[in-house]
Amino acid sequence: MRIGISGIGVACGAGHGKAAFSEALFETPDLFSYLGREGREPAEGDTPFIGVEMPEPPAILPPRIARTVGLSARAAVSVLSEAWQEAGLDHVDPERIGLVVGGSNLMSRERELALGEYAGRLSYVPPRHGHMFQDTDICGVCATVFPIRGFAVTVGAASASGAVAVIQAVDAIRSGRVDVCIALGALQDLSAHDLQALRAMGAMGSSRFANSPSKACRPMDADRDGFIYGEASAALVISRTDRVNSPKLYGSVLGTGIFNDGTRGPEPNSDGQARAAGKALAEAGLTAAGIDYVNGHATGTPAGDTEELETYRMLELQNAHINATKSIFGHGLSASGAIEVAAVLMQMEEGRLHPTRNLDHPLDPAVNWVGPRAANHAIRHALKFSFGFGGVNTALVLGVPGSGKQSK
Amino acid sequence: MDANKIAEIIIAEIRETVPELAGQTITEADSMADLGVDSIERSEVILAVMEQLGLKIPMVQLHGPRNIGELADLLHAKSAG
Repeated sequence: MRIGISGIGVACGAGHGKAAFSEALFETPDLFSYLGREGREPAEGDTPFIGVEMPEPPAILPPRIARTVGLSARAAVSVLSEAWQEAGLDHVDPERIGLVVGGSNLMSRERELALGEYAGRLSYVPPRHGHMFQDTDICGVCATVFPIRGFAVTVGAASASGAVAVIQAVDAIRSGRVDVCIALGALQDLSAHDLQALRAMGAMGSSRFANSPSKACRPMDADRDGFIYGEASAALVISRTDRVNSPKLYGSVLGTGIFNDGTRGPEPNSDGQARAAGKALAEAGLTAAGIDYVNGHATGTPAGDTEELETYRMLELQNAHINATKSIFGHGLSASGAIEVAAVLMQMEEGRLHPTRNLDHPLDPAVNWVGPRAANHAIRHALKFSFGFGGVNTALVLGVPGSGKQSK
Repeated sequence: MDANKIAEIIIAEIRETVPELAGQTITEADSMADLGVDSIERSEVILAVMEQLGLKIPMVQLHGPRNIGELADLLHAKSAG
């Protein structure tokens, strides 16, 4: 069975659609500024939160549905629409199509706005609020607009949610349940409460760069001081290429790995990360020496980057080209695993690697980083890492279209 | 507030809830179900109207009306009572 990716849809701070994404990927405009969306105001007297916000998604939904859904669902429908059309899914039996939405607590900002709006008039809460703030509402909206009848579910794995959606989609195809499964990294719409908590936790940066947003997001740099949030969403159409004729094929999914550390909080762990990579490589029939490009998780947190570097050393990945997509678009949290797979595939297609912004003083200069300029390189086998709070470690091995052994 | 005014409020709320009905004439003789307003939307419309009337009554007491005019009459009777 060969499994490939036949459609991509993306939404990020650079805009909606692959054209805007690809241009930003290689040109790295400065997308960072102070968050301005309603519900993200800082505590009184505090510095504003730094990050990246996306333009309003295109109006695809009928107004009747659009007025009852939040930003996460509007972004989901936008990326799904782009990926769906590219993969030509109108020709596939709807019962053979599944959807896995990666992410949980996706609409906390909109929910907090609603809590404020109906404070003191609880009797008049619209009945729709009974389902519109549940993550599964995104499944419902997507399946209402597109003929997805195999199944539609959500999976939560913190910042690894998008990558786990890919893994679950691959598993659903391998098991024979469906022939096509869309992995959708949903926009995690953070509220001021979430942002403040992440700042208090020390995971989210900006205090050091409070006056210079463009410098705040600097994964793998010696001066990093935490991750910087960026709104994002991406849909990947994953299909069984021996059963489904796709007009387009970006690449193959050759191996997947997911392991848990048995920790509750944000602590990263090289052993778990290396185990995840080991399983993904074994499935792909490769060793780390066969990997010529690594797309890091690379959050920009002090502990996260240090531990991830240790993983690179353990696996002897120093000779592979490595970059950090979060340096351009910020950390999409639940969406990051999916949009970063999209970044891998678009680099594969272009034969170029995107720059890493703000990597002025790499934590480890011995690593083969892609620095401030894009580099020409034809990717054969890529390793994509995604990690999440709660000890989630994932790794994906992706190959050029048609690559890899045929698994049973 | 008389029942005609309440019917106007109901119609305005229907238009707000179902923007697709823009341009379509809506009268007191129409029923929300016939206009294609689904059950959750009907509850939304009725709750929004109750708030404007300052009414707080269980939804179960509002079953029965067959069209907008009858609903307006019932809400009028409840607000008068």
